[in-house]
Amino acid sequence: MLAMPEIEAPLPEESVASRDDAALVAALRTGDEAAFTELVGRYGGLMLRVARLYVPTRAVAEEVVQETWLGVLRGIGRFEGRSSLKTWLFRILTNTAQTRAAREGRSLPFSALAQREVGADEVSVDPDRFIPQGERWAGYWASSPRRFDDLPESRLMSAETFAAAKQAIDGLPAVQRAVITMRDIAGFDSEDVCDALGLSAGNQRVLLHRARSKVRVALERHLDEEGAA
Amino acid sequence: MASELSCRELVELVTEYVEGTLPGDELERFEQHLVYCGPCATHVEQMRETIRVTGSLREADLDAAVADGLLEAFRGWRDGRS
Amino acid sequence: MTAYKFLRAGRIAPFSGFEWPVGSWVEAETRVACGAGIHACRVADLPFWLLDELWEIELGDEITQGAHKVVAKRGRLVRRVDAWDAEVSTEFAAACVDRVRRLTEGRPEAEGHLADVVAWAPHASAAAVASLAARAWEAAEGGDGYDTERTAQSAWLAGRLGLHPAGA
Repeated sequence: MLAMPEIEAPLPEESVASRDDAALVAALRTGDEAAFTELVGRYGGLMLRVARLYVPTRAVAEEVVQETWLGVLRGIGRFEGRSSLKTWLFRILTNTAQTRAAREGRSLPFSALAQREVGADEVSVDPDRFIPQGERWAGYWASSPRRFDDLPESRLMSAETFAAAKQAIDGLPAVQRAVITMRDIAGFDSEDVCDALGLSAGNQRVLLHRARSKVRVALERHLDEEGAA
Repeated sequence: MASELSCRELVELVTEYVEGTLPGDELERFEQHLVYCGPCATHVEQMRETIRVTGSLREADLDAAVADGLLEAFRGWRDGRS
Repeated sequence: MTAYKFLRAGRIAPFSGFEWPVGSWVEAETRVACGAGIHACRVADLPFWLLDELWEIELGDEITQGAHKVVAKRGRLVRRVDAWDAEVSTEFAAACVDRVRRLTEGRPEAEGHLADVVAWAPHASAAAVASLAARAWEAAEGGDGYDTERTAQSAWLAGRLGLHPAGA
């Protein structure tokens, strides 16, 4: 009698990724070069972007990434999988980058810069979008914003839209750029980001809000222009 | 009763709302506003879409020279182990 | 305790998107993670949460009273209040506009609010008209005016829909 293959329930995306990471770590321990190449492909670009938040030049950031991987290889025997590989990897990366930033003489920590950014007086939406104080219905929208999710997915998720978002992020003040990069691009939770950047939960949230708000404005402008064209 | 949240106030609370950190009474005012205010519902949706777009940004791979350097370092590590 | 709950068409909770079953208990922790529990209305809270469908809901254990809602650990939809439909919703909005009209008697400064509410009402939801009316009253008479209008709204709903006023 033929053995019927067992049908496996599809795993949720997250656990596929973590199983892959775990498998790659196991392979890496045995000196598997393909596993190493795959991990570098998976995380290298993101690591470079995060390192770049700390150090002044791309060349130095590349050195930080290289140093991080050496640290990973040296420590792989001790990695117990209690945190995810990604969390562990980026903890080594941010420590390495911090040390390097101090050595480069750019040692003003994010926590100090954050005070300045949080203290700045700013609003998320242009005040002209609302009915002014003193008029009837003051504080209501003067004209309604336009839905993004009515747009075709191909337009919202287009290379042009991504370019607009990237440009907006690159133009952010340093800590806001760091927070949105780690939260929304790299996908870390607020606790990890507060740890890595030395921020209080409150400041992290304020800066994340300002960062997201500016990116939203950039997307709105970009999508409106496109719509008008 | 305290006045309702205005649209201008609401837009400053969106991140706290989507993060789930609004305290109970503020959450109530926020959601109460969303029940009747279409433009604010649209604004919240725009913020969610913004997060989704940012989350979809992909990084370019490392430069080939950097990747080659890493591979060399890897081989050094592998061959240096006993 | 018996209370009320507004849902979108098809028994959809407005914020969580949860589709409510009829008759079976729903625990707050498991599915409807909207803050810390199941949200419902006392009669006085109704005008703040107007949506397509109105349901009577039985709430269990540990009920917390909020400013304009109650929160419970679990709840069970008992029956739909069929009287709340598109037609009654339009009647309700008209009653709100009428009260704003009454507000302008002897108060010419409120005419602008009335004109706006009259112009917007045909395109706005019942919840929006209710809010506009309460704000018009607030502009004229401050916080007390706001409360007066909201109380009038809930009394109108209780009377028209035949809700038990203790109800919660």
